[in-house]
Amino acid sequence: MQTVSVAEESVVPAAYRPDVIHVKSARFGDFEVLADRVLHFPQGLIGFPRMRRFVILDHRPGSPFKWMLCLEQPDVAFAVVEPREMVPDYRAPLELGARTLGVDPADVALFVIVTIPPDPTAMTVNLMAPVVVDVRTRTSRQLVLEDPRCDPSYRVCAPRVAVAAES
Amino acid sequence: MLVLTRKVGERIRIGDEVTLQVLEVRGGQVRLGLAAPADVRIFREEIFLAIEGQNQDAQLPDQARLADAAAVWEAYADGKRS
Repeated sequence: MQTVSVAEESVVPAAYRPDVIHVKSARFGDFEVLADRVLHFPQGLIGFPRMRRFVILDHRPGSPFKWMLCLEQPDVAFAVVEPREMVPDYRAPLELGARTLGVDPADVALFVIVTIPPDPTAMTVNLMAPVVVDVRTRTSRQLVLEDPRCDPSYRVCAPRVAVAAES
Repeated sequence: MLVLTRKVGERIRIGDEVTLQVLEVRGGQVRLGLAAPADVRIFREEIFLAIEGQNQDAQLPDQARLADAAAVWEAYADGKRS
């Protein structure tokens, strides 16, 4: 048995670090993510109970867009944003998030999922079902707000301005 | 599908921790009371289906889709500022 374990150790690459997860995605490329950055959704996303572990990666510095990549199915990823910049008058349900996660509101990060159709000027954000994260433990949950003001497909770019921005 | 008949005020237990109570029947409507642990998500089905569908639609097809949206947003936000 001793021989086997030595042999196993010898094939571990020099750069092996137990705190790094290597993600191979045919669709989105390969990523290295730190294990302590992984979000745990004990119940998965709504309608996708088996998608429980995600990482959030920046699109690029200064952009509000982030990737939320599923570790169980690395070909599944969502675009997420913090709503503050895109939807300034959205009343982010931090209190509800905190209650649901059983933590202090100061420890809650909140993201909304962006749906990007082939014409990206028509992109929408899901204000009805934001994702809340306990920043200390990274336990996460997708909330559902039954508030008629929280549109599940809220259009981010008002159409006429989007056309002006293209020209 | 399991079918049970209950009178107003009577309850059904689902598993050990979920209780469903018939509170009121009036016209074509039934009012139900649900007691469940906080980690059990309870939704009206149409809400659940709407969010499930939105999550489905939001799955990104590729990297370019997100980059396109980020570029559109940048142009839009710049336009709003100026």
